[in-house]
Amino acid sequence: MSKQLKKDLSAIPFILPFFIVYVIFVVYPMIQGVWMSLHRWTIVRKVRYIGLDNYRDMLQDPYFWAALRNTTYFVVLSTPTIIIAGLLLALISNQNLRGKTFFRLSFFMPNILSVAVISTIMVFVFRAYSGLISTLLKDIGIQQEIFWLGDPDLAWVVIVVATLWWTVGFNMVLFLAALQDIPAHLYEAASIDGASSRQMFWYITLPLLKPIIWVVTMLQIIASYKVFAQIWLITRGGPGAATRPIIQYIYEVGFRQNDLGYAATMSYALFLILMILTLVQMRVRRWGETEL
Amino acid sequence: MLMTSLKREGFPIRHVYQWFLPPFTVQNYYTVFNRAPIGRWMFNSLFIAVSVTALVLIISSLAAFAISRIDFRFRKFVYVFFMAGLMVPGEATIIPLFNLANNLNLVNTYSGLILPSLAGPFAVIILKEFFDGVPNELVESARIDGCGLFRMYWMIFVPLSKPALSTIGIFTFIGSWNNFLWPFLIIMSEAMYTLPVGIPAFNSAYSQDYILPMTVNAVASLPAIIAFLFFQKQIIQGIKLSGIKG
Repeated sequence: MSKQLKKDLSAIPFILPFFIVYVIFVVYPMIQGVWMSLHRWTIVRKVRYIGLDNYRDMLQDPYFWAALRNTTYFVVLSTPTIIIAGLLLALISNQNLRGKTFFRLSFFMPNILSVAVISTIMVFVFRAYSGLISTLLKDIGIQQEIFWLGDPDLAWVVIVVATLWWTVGFNMVLFLAALQDIPAHLYEAASIDGASSRQMFWYITLPLLKPIIWVVTMLQIIASYKVFAQIWLITRGGPGAATRPIIQYIYEVGFRQNDLGYAATMSYALFLILMILTLVQMRVRRWGETEL
Repeated sequence: MLMTSLKREGFPIRHVYQWFLPPFTVQNYYTVFNRAPIGRWMFNSLFIAVSVTALVLIISSLAAFAISRIDFRFRKFVYVFFMAGLMVPGEATIIPLFNLANNLNLVNTYSGLILPSLAGPFAVIILKEFFDGVPNELVESARIDGCGLFRMYWMIFVPLSKPALSTIGIFTFIGSWNNFLWPFLIIMSEAMYTLPVGIPAFNSAYSQDYILPMTVNAVASLPAIIAFLFFQKQIIQGIKLSGIKG
């Protein structure tokens, strides 16, 4: 037995377990999905080849575009909110204030709570007549009832607030790590030159944070395109379909309308978006590393 | 949340300050445990998260060791092949994955909940990078002493990479504990619910009241909060590592 063959064989027991699950649960579904998207495919498996019909239907499906628009709208609403809030919280908790550990922990804590818990709390905070906000408004004398979840704009507010509360701590920690990497002597030099703290922020902190801000922004955009759980649990995509994201539409077409082929087709549209964003993100990250 | 959970069932609240005042009762906790198999859901979540974490750590570190240290043919190819998986978001393959689970009779089973979570290449890639940093002299001297590959993995690489392993472990655990979409799709019976799927189901059954749902939330969150307080250092350290260098 040659030396090389011996090495090849010795690697097998190490590689094989992961290789098998990877091929079965990642690679195979990828390929299977393409196949499904070319068929009329139901759970009871009455399979019929229909070529590119699903793709054509998708491009003409107003609900698909609406769901995609909703998801994009969520990305546009949530990304700047979460990035700016995360940065602000990181700046505050980077100051040497008393109770900063408590501050950091309390903002990070929601991150480990289940999305189900976050969502139910939000529903009970914002519900009409008996919610916390409603009670609060009555206490300060405002009797008008606000139907947070009945109005599309307000429903988006609730969803974004929930997402912000749930995920902002994660970004805060990333920014905090970057803030602590900024050498202290830069600030010392600036304060000798008589820079105000505002000038220090604009001319030292922000430029040095630029790479990490880009990376976090891209990660946030990618994560936001996959939004499903909190919207499903808070509004079910309603009122009507005004807040229905793309994953929810895929789920409904696949499992409620039993059209797995078409659902798979739409997954590939999502996949395409996410893949482009991931490629951009990898670029950004490499650029960030050279700049640091 | 905790305050509310101590209120009497159906207790009406007209003013905000009433949230923080007595009467308090722990009656709700008995009620919740009696009305829903929440203990069972908690066990499901815990069992799945522990299995996923342990298995991910084992199979990923084995694969990472081979890619990092065994000079086999196709090694480059295997690495790139795994790397490509980073680009595939689970959300995009959820339909064919469900179809597969259906064909393999994995729907509504623990295996169906556990196995697909093992296939992510993230842990392999991170551990491979980490293993690459293990000094060669250590490996050479072990080899001269007649140390086999498996012993080398077990006696040198695993102990040396404890920090990386524990970070990945914690993240895998939290990820699995909070996973919603996949369990939501493949669980068909109440007995198999995990907490993220069970809580909303329970809460929508009691949507008129807010006290029992809050009790369920409190019950479901306490283990996570306690675990967080124990591991906060590692968790926060882990985010810094994974966010910037991962």
